[in-house]
Amino acid sequence: MAPTVTPPGTYAGVANVLAVLVLLSEFAMLRAALLRAQMRLYAAQSLLVSVLAAVVAWGRDVPELYVLAALSLALKVVVVPWVVMRQLRQTRTEIAGSGVLGVASEVLVAVVVAVLAFFATSRFHIASPALPTTALGLAVAVIAVSFVLMIVRRDVVSQAVGFFSLENGVSLASLVVAAGLPLILEVAFLFDLLVAVVVFGVLMRVHHRRARSLSTEHLTKLRG
Amino acid sequence: MNVVLVLLTTVPLLGAAVALLGHQRATETVTALLGAGSFGLAIVLMPHVSHGALQFGFLRADAVSVVFLLGTTFLYAAASIYAIGYLRSDPENTDPSGYSRRFYLGLNLFAWSMMCAPLVDGLALLWVAVEITTVVSALLVAADRTDSAAEASWKYVLLASAGLGLGLLATIVMYYAGSTTLGQSFDLAFGPLLKAGHALPHTAVQLAFVLSIVGFGTKVGLFPVHTWLPDAHSEAPTPVSALLSGSLLAVSFYAILRYYQVAVGTLGPRFSGTVMLVFGVLSLLLAALYLIEQRNVKRLLAYSSVEHMGILAIGVSFGAPIAMAGVLLHVIAHAAAKGNAFFGAGVLVRKYGTKDIAAIRSGLDVLPWTAPLFLFGILALSAFPPFGIFRSEFQIVAGGLGSGTHLPAVVLVGLVTLAFFGLSIATTRMVYTPGGGQALLRGEPSGWMVAPMVAGILVLLLLGIHPPEALAALLHQGALELGGAS
Amino acid sequence: MVPEPLIQALQMLTVLCAAPGISGVIARVEARLQGRRGPRILQPYYDLRKLFAKETLVPHGTSWVFLAAPVGAMACYLTVPMLIPVLTSFDLPLGDMGDILGGGMILGLASFLVAVAATETGAPYAQLGASRVKTFGAITEPVMLFVFFTVALVTGTDKPYALAATVRASSEQIVRPAHLLAAAGLLLVILYETGRIPVETHSGTNEFGMLEEVRVFEHSGPFLALLRWGSTMKQLILYILFINVFVAPWGLAGDRSLLAVALAILALLGKSCVLGGVVAVIDNTFAKLRLFKITEFVAAAFLLAVLAVCTLYFGGG
Repeated sequence: MAPTVTPPGTYAGVANVLAVLVLLSEFAMLRAALLRAQMRLYAAQSLLVSVLAAVVAWGRDVPELYVLAALSLALKVVVVPWVVMRQLRQTRTEIAGSGVLGVASEVLVAVVVAVLAFFATSRFHIASPALPTTALGLAVAVIAVSFVLMIVRRDVVSQAVGFFSLENGVSLASLVVAAGLPLILEVAFLFDLLVAVVVFGVLMRVHHRRARSLSTEHLTKLRG
Repeated sequence: MNVVLVLLTTVPLLGAAVALLGHQRATETVTALLGAGSFGLAIVLMPHVSHGALQFGFLRADAVSVVFLLGTTFLYAAASIYAIGYLRSDPENTDPSGYSRRFYLGLNLFAWSMMCAPLVDGLALLWVAVEITTVVSALLVAADRTDSAAEASWKYVLLASAGLGLGLLATIVMYYAGSTTLGQSFDLAFGPLLKAGHALPHTAVQLAFVLSIVGFGTKVGLFPVHTWLPDAHSEAPTPVSALLSGSLLAVSFYAILRYYQVAVGTLGPRFSGTVMLVFGVLSLLLAALYLIEQRNVKRLLAYSSVEHMGILAIGVSFGAPIAMAGVLLHVIAHAAAKGNAFFGAGVLVRKYGTKDIAAIRSGLDVLPWTAPLFLFGILALSAFPPFGIFRSEFQIVAGGLGSGTHLPAVVLVGLVTLAFFGLSIATTRMVYTPGGGQALLRGEPSGWMVAPMVAGILVLLLLGIHPPEALAALLHQGALELGGAS
Repeated sequence: MVPEPLIQALQMLTVLCAAPGISGVIARVEARLQGRRGPRILQPYYDLRKLFAKETLVPHGTSWVFLAAPVGAMACYLTVPMLIPVLTSFDLPLGDMGDILGGGMILGLASFLVAVAATETGAPYAQLGASRVKTFGAITEPVMLFVFFTVALVTGTDKPYALAATVRASSEQIVRPAHLLAAAGLLLVILYETGRIPVETHSGTNEFGMLEEVRVFEHSGPFLALLRWGSTMKQLILYILFINVFVAPWGLAGDRSLLAVALAILALLGKSCVLGGVVAVIDNTFAKLRLFKITEFVAAAFLLAVLAVCTLYFGGG
């Protein structure tokens, strides 16, 4: 048994709790079956990431991060869900569809993957002045679980949300190891994401127009 | 020279603007001119980077980036000329002006993003550019609006974006590595990063390098994340397929090369080389096996792209300067040869109305120009002398043998031979085997589609028989840069 | 000064006497939330008295286990309060006879005895309930283990008193993600163990939807009373574990003075009633899950507990 772990400070505790909530929202996405629920969870997760950016800005005195927090709030909490919901309004579909596995098995698989991610991250000994290392492990776990989400879900919306939340995981990781990244680059990343979202939206509509559903189960023509 | 850098990263936008206006003739002309002009500008740039890097604001060009720029701009020019014939001869197109507007808008933006990628300074901007290539090309793959095009584009955009998510993570980890020695305001520019070299923390650089291989490797089509590639290549409009295969994969490989450059500076060639070797050999093996049993001509060429990307990775893993020069030459030669092969396949598909290899027969009787040119293209791809790929692969293998890595070099030769069987059997059947084509009229669908193929063969011959001095100097300098000196 | 053995006994007695009352409070709050007047708070005591006055019927073909199980379970429930901080913030003499893992195992033993008695009868409903409880228990018991691991990693010991002291000592402990995750996981397990919505309807007549309640169907008279009483005690014990170890270990007696102990009893009752109220609100807010969805519920608890250990073990969170 490891010796008693000294409790981290209040700042680290709050930051870690936010990071844990980001991971939990990722798990919730595995479970959510309705399109709206998926998008809401994504918005909530983005909100958490933005709040965490503000917390880092306040706690470590990095004023640029306030700007980043505000931008990511505007883009990822408001614009992206709005764009996607708008694109989907015409499809008149409510239910995103089910996964390949049952929800409980999906969660258990994701737990295993997340623990592996944790374990892997702890081996790298990457320490950062901005946030405790736990948050980095959590970020990598978010990324790993988002891959599970993209793999086990069989509808375009869940897969797209999987990609968006992958980006949230990367944002979380960048708060840990790259809090000082020049603002202009962060902004470039965010706008790139926005472009990607629009393209995802367009392709979702193309898919719906061709297939008359949002499911990807019949995407089996191209093989070999 | 700064003017050239700025022009190269802006002129294709002009083509996109003209495409938006919607006049088809004007768009065709402007795009073809812009393509040729970009290629000319890239050639102009060649001698200026043979001794060191050019830097202007956030733009930067060194020998490596100009090599990739040459391949991309050549294909941009060739594809824009080919596209004229391709669009005009399309019998199934019900909405020609709408289609051409979408197509040319996408084509120009796609070329723009791929020309920006090697010219921007810094890993962060590089990632941004590569991500833009993904989204633009995904829309182009879906341009045909068929069920399979929708399927292919969805798979492509999802896999490539997820891969680039890891690429972003690699970028961020590299920032972390750099910021430990260069301070917080470090913006991932190449110059300082390469200079800092050995002072960077090892674990972080290792992590960033492996993440970059998996992340950008998704777009390069390295095993096991290559699965989108045959789908997208076979369903995209043919000029786009050529650009995807010859340029997009190369540009993504360029991103990996940049990480490799940093990793070699920090960790030495051993670690980075081994990782590249594993991914390269696996990709090459997979592609060689799939090539033998392939029924769809465009998928056949797509797997050949996986094969060549594997060769590039193996070549880099050898680490010897001659192998590096071979790799860089291979990038250009592969762009020309694969462009040629796709253009030829596009004409066959257009003429016979099918992508099924079994249904395409006696090509030589039906297409007097395309069939031999296609055959030459395939031979060039299979590294036959006197074409450029023969020279580049010869250099790679020589570098491997020279640096004492015998087994990988032997494996490389064996697998390339295996791939040659697959490619050549399918091609000779399409070109020589009689039957099937009798009902079709003898004749080319369009002269615009033949011209770029002739140009491609000429380039391949030039590269194979006697590469120009300027190019040789460029390749030499590029090999030096990749060897760890900057 | 109250002698320590007396406090020890008081811990047991408090749980024994207060447990049915807490159930009464929950039932009352629940009824109020639904707009009914609801039963008296003391109703569970009247029920017990009535049951004790009735005769005992034993199904055909059952052995002595059938009647021994309720008594054994009751004994288990009386043992656990000696191990956990019910009234005092300091260690009591018998508190050292078992750690938090031991307490969990004794609770598990009680549940096992009830299940054995249920299968003894051969009656379909009782068996159904018992087998279902054990099936989901395959996930909830690991959850408890992970929660205990979290406690052990945080305090370096496996004693509930130590964690309560750690939480009291610093507010930083409260915002620690591992702590919050473990507490949340424990709360889900408590909802499961006490047979609350969203796992089952506590006071219904639909046998198919029941897990806990249905197991005691074949018992009657005083033995049924013991089982009912025992299950309210289990509920209170779990609440105490949750409150006095994880969430609010304040208001415990710091010394052995009579006043402090009396206040501690009152505080405990108050805190349990508040938690009961929260549970009642949860009861009213959610719908009962379908049986097959219960795995999702316990899997969520498992996730929380595993994450708690991970954040601690790999990151010091």
